[in-house]
Order: sequence, then structure tokens, then C-alpha cells
Amino acid sequence: MLEVDHLVRRFGEITAVDAISFAVGDGQMTGFVGGNGAGKTTTMRMIMGVLSIHGGGVQWRGRPITAADRRGFGYMPEERGLYPKQPIMDQLIYLGRLQGLSASGARQRAKTLLERFNLGDRHKDKLESLSLGNQQRVQIAAAVISDPQMLVLDEPFSGLDPAAVDEMADVLREFTDRGVPVLFSSHQLDLVDRLCDQLVVLSAGRVVARGTAAELRRRGPVRHRLITAGDAGWVRGLPGIEVIDVDGGTALLELSEPADTDRILTEALRRGGVRELTEVVPTLADTYREVTR
Amino acid sequence: MSTVQTRPAQSRSSADDTSSAHHAWRTVTEREISVKLKDRTFLITTVVTLAIIIGAVAFQTVMAAHAGKKTVATSGPGTQIVRLADTLAHQGGRDGVSLKSRVLSSTSAVRSAVQSGKVDAGLVPAGDGWRLIGKDSKDDVISTWLGVAVQQATMQKNAVAAGTSLPALQKGTALPYDLIDPRATSTGLAKGVGYAFGFLFYLASLLFGLAIANSVIEEKQNRIVEILASAISLRQLLIGKVLGNSLLAIAQLVIFAAAALIALLATGNSSALAGISGGISWFIVFYLVGFITLACVWAVAGALATRSEDLQATSTPISVVIIAVFIAGISVSGTAQVVLSYLPLFSTIAMPIRVVAGTATWWEPLVSLVLALAAGYGIIRVADAMYRRSLMQTGRKLSYRDALRTAE
Repeated sequence: MLEVDHLVRRFGEITAVDAISFAVGDGQMTGFVGGNGAGKTTTMRMIMGVLSIHGGGVQWRGRPITAADRRGFGYMPEERGLYPKQPIMDQLIYLGRLQGLSASGARQRAKTLLERFNLGDRHKDKLESLSLGNQQRVQIAAAVISDPQMLVLDEPFSGLDPAAVDEMADVLREFTDRGVPVLFSSHQLDLVDRLCDQLVVLSAGRVVARGTAAELRRRGPVRHRLITAGDAGWVRGLPGIEVIDVDGGTALLELSEPADTDRILTEALRRGGVRELTEVVPTLADTYREVTR
Repeated sequence: MSTVQTRPAQSRSSADDTSSAHHAWRTVTEREISVKLKDRTFLITTVVTLAIIIGAVAFQTVMAAHAGKKTVATSGPGTQIVRLADTLAHQGGRDGVSLKSRVLSSTSAVRSAVQSGKVDAGLVPAGDGWRLIGKDSKDDVISTWLGVAVQQATMQKNAVAAGTSLPALQKGTALPYDLIDPRATSTGLAKGVGYAFGFLFYLASLLFGLAIANSVIEEKQNRIVEILASAISLRQLLIGKVLGNSLLAIAQLVIFAAAALIALLATGNSSALAGISGGISWFIVFYLVGFITLACVWAVAGALATRSEDLQATSTPISVVIIAVFIAGISVSGTAQVVLSYLPLFSTIAMPIRVVAGTATWWEPLVSLVLALAAGYGIIRVADAMYRRSLMQTGRKLSYRDALRTAE
């Protein structure tokens, strides 16, 4: 488990990361969400030891993280890139060796990964000669070359076509299935919704929301949509119920307690019939807009 | 689709971790060398420089040999004079000089042979003595040695006529010239060796330096430095980078020096070598210290930039220093040279030149080397800190002052 504990980073007068805390459990896929400048990249760089920490700390398996721990992490930086003019096989071996693999172990591992990404016959090609999608595949191969204990990926899905997104998601799931914690940042909320066990939402350097996608959706007041046979204007007279909108036979309501649904149903039946009464679950995007406002 | 394999049997142990942390610089060094050896530009410049060195030595030798080979036309009797001149030149230790005669039927035939350029000069009888005929300029080799030969032959004849002999006439005329403290190497050769090594140092520290700076920028610009920094310390990265390039530079220098030496040997200049071999060893030692010191500063020049376009600006100070070291190193003399030969970086060229020229006593290069090492250590310490501070600052181009002040 990786724990981020009141992490602080300042750039001059600006506090880019302001006492951020969250944890990524073993086998847990955690999505890091937030707008530009929210502090996602800065936090990830501090976790990886690439940027010095101005306050707080990072714990790995219950104790302060060390350089040796980080060497066992797979990392994909924000504006990713490997050596453009070096053959992809060579640079995967190089990175594997820097992360502690033997030369032959790194070669074997690089070969397996390139074959997996259907790049086996292109291992001698320079990175810059590959398509952008294939460059991304090499980049993820670089992140997982040394069989990492933890994955920290900054925007791993940006710029990928749908097939490549699925491929990347499969790779990440294989790691979480084996108990490896995965932390990745993304702007694509639908993807985060689909993949993540946990979301951490950042805004202006602070954690503004944290939890599963379902929990986040229910953070806001639960709303209901009522569709009646006749005009629904009568809902305005009900005590304890806030009316958001009425349009003919359709009303959007905010209830103060769940039991209020019974009261509304009874009243609606008395007034001429009910077509529909449903809970309106906000989209993740709605919640995101709500919490980062 | 297959799955990503786990490697339970060969997963990292903590022992592996420590050893790889210690030896990460070796992996970086290996990569720097292997990338460079696959770089076509590097290979081509090396081969071309090698060809130029061998060609220059060969050309000089051929020119020198050709300059001493003379053909003199005679109308018959002059042949003996030419042969005598040739013998005297050889006795005088001028192995490069060779005088041959070509016998023609008449004086006018000799004239026309000289006119047409088929021979270098003509020797014809004139009154009691001889006359040399040249085309448009006087040839020093011919006038010197034929002059001596004519003088000797005529004196011999006159001595016999006067009832004495040539040795009797020449008795006591020889003037030996002894040197109390002979200089091993001629000033010209010392200068030439100094220029050559100075230029090689200038070229290598500029070309390798730019390559180091560019490779730092490449890593910074492509953010691969973040992956590297999460795996190994930036100091290990710097050590590997500087060491890889320094090893290549020194290997290149040794190859160049060896080529020059072999070419000199092959062309029969072995006597010149004895005097400069000690100086060449000092050149290599100073070259290594100077190169490594500058290489670290080049790495800083790369780390300060955010794009390769910035390098022009960040590398100017170091380029100026290198040019100054080169120009001052080969041009100064006297007291200024002695001072420079102790000044770190400047001593890289100035001190070995003094050793080759024989103007430095044995302890002087040692003291200068200690000074260069001390200054190099200081410069490298500061450069290491500046490199690590600026490498992760990707926002904008930094100045040297920023890098000194910025916190990590």
C-alpha cells in the first residue's frame, strides 16, 4: 500500500500541492482526477522522488519510502518520451538494467513485452519511426519492464485510440489482479469511472473528493424525477421537498429524506396517476463539476 | 493476447538493489559509449581526422624527400663534381639530399634541358672553373653542396700544383661546436607538437562537450530524465555520462597520437620521437583532467537549457573558455607561458608544451597537475550540484546564476 500523507510542494509563492493525503491499496486501481494545475503531476513526481518534497511524506508498505523502493516502481511521466533516436529494444534493456535487472534478464523481459504489444518484429526500429500509438505501447512497456511493485502513470490514456485504450486497461488490470497498486491520472472521466476502484479528485492543490465512483456520485443531494399523468405543478405545495424544476407532467425534486418517496407517490396517485418515479444519479462529470467548483 | 509474465524466481532481491545502485553509472557509461560508437557522425569525423593526421605526416615526408632530390645536367666533366657533392652531403649527415647527374652532349644541350625544366640545374665549365645554370631561381641545396664540391676539387687540384696536399692545406681549419646543455627537441618540433595537441584538445572538448550537452538536453526535453531519476540518482547519471564520453575522447586521442607516431616512424623520423615521447605522456594526463572538468560543465550547459535551441546561449561561456585555453596555450611565451602553465585548464596545453620544449624541470608538471586536479575537483562539485538542480526545472531556460541559487 502506498500512502501519501499531507504532501506539500511550493513553487516560489505558489503552493502547488497543499497537504494532500490519500492511499492506494494493494491491487487497487486509483484514478487521479483534476483540472490543469490541480497538482496531479506535481504529486506524482514527488511520489517518484523526481521532485523534492516541502512537507509531509510518502509511506510505502507502512514505512517512509526509499530510493530502492522507487527503483521498483513503474513510472510514466506526463510529457512522455524515451530516446527518439535509439532502437526500442535497446532502450527497454537500458531502463530495465537501471532498475536492477541483469542484462540477460532485461533483454528477455523486453522481448516478451514487445511481442505482447505486437512490436516484436520492430525491436530494431528507432522510437521516432513508430506511430504515436506504438510509441505509447513502448512507453508502457518501459514502465513495466522491471515487473514493478507499484505503477504511477501520468495520463497514460491520453492520445490513445479506443483499441489502444482497451489494451492499456488490460495491462493495468493484470497488475491490480496481482495485487500491485496502480495510480494513474486522467482527464477522461468515463474511463476513470469504468476502470477505477477509487477516485481522488484534486482542485487547486487540495483533495476535494475521494472514494469509489458510486460514493462520489452520491455525495451530492439525491434527486428524483417524477412523471405524472396530469400537470405536476402541485408538487410545489408539498412541505419538506425542494422543487428544482417543473415542466408539464415532469418534475425534478430534491428530497430531504428517502421516505419522502412514499409521500410523493401517494399524493400523485390521488391526483390522477404516476408514470414514473426514479432516482436521478448524477454523472461523474456532474459531481466533478460540483466538487471542483 | 498473452499476459504480462511475472518472474517470481528472478525478481529483485535487496542485494541486487544495492549492487545496481552502486553500479548504475556503469550501465550509463556503457550506453553512452555504445550509442556514440553507433553514431555515424562520430565515426566519420574520427576516420577523417585519422586520415588527415596520417596524410599530413606522409605529405611532409614526401615533400621533404622530394625537396632533396636534385638532378644536375653536365656536358661531361661535371659529373665527377656532382658525384663528389652527393658524397659530401651524405658525409654531412644530410640523408634527404641526393644529387644525380645527367650527361648531355654540349653546353647548349645543358642550357635547353634547364630551360625546359627537365633538370634542376646545369653545371658547365667556365674558364678555369665552373658555372651553375638555373632557370628562374637559385636552388639552395644545389648551390651549397655543388659549391663545396667545386671548392674541394679545385683546392685539391691547386694543392697538387703547389706541391702540397689537400689535408695539409686544411689542417687546423675545422671548428667543432660543443653544446654544454643540448636541447633534446628542436623548437620547431616542440611548437608543432604543441599546436597539434592543443588543437586536438580544443576540438575534442568542443565536439564531445556539445555531444554531452545535447544528450543531457535530449533526456531533459523528452522527460526520460524523470524515469531515470526515479530509478537512479542524478549523480550516477552524470558520472556515467561524463565517464563514457571521457573514455571515448581519450581513446580517440590515443589512436590519433599512435597514428602520428607510427606515421613518423614509418617515414624514418625516429630520431625526432625520442625527444617528445615524455611530453606526449604529459599531454595525455593533462588532457584527461582538463577534459573531465570541462565535460561536467558541458553537462550543466545542457541541463540549464530546456530545448536544444537554448544551448547556443548556455554554452557560450564554456566555449569562450575553451577557445581562450587553446589560443593562449599555443601563442604565449616567456613568463606568461610559465604563469599559464600553472593556471588550471590553461595548463592543459601550456604545461605539456613546456615539457616538450624542455623548459620545465621535472617537478613543474607535477605541481601544475596537482593544481589542475584541485581546481577540477572544485569545479566538478559545483557543476554536479548545478546539474542536479537545473535538470528537473523544465519551465524555462535557466542562467548559471539561477542554477547556483535554486533549491533542489
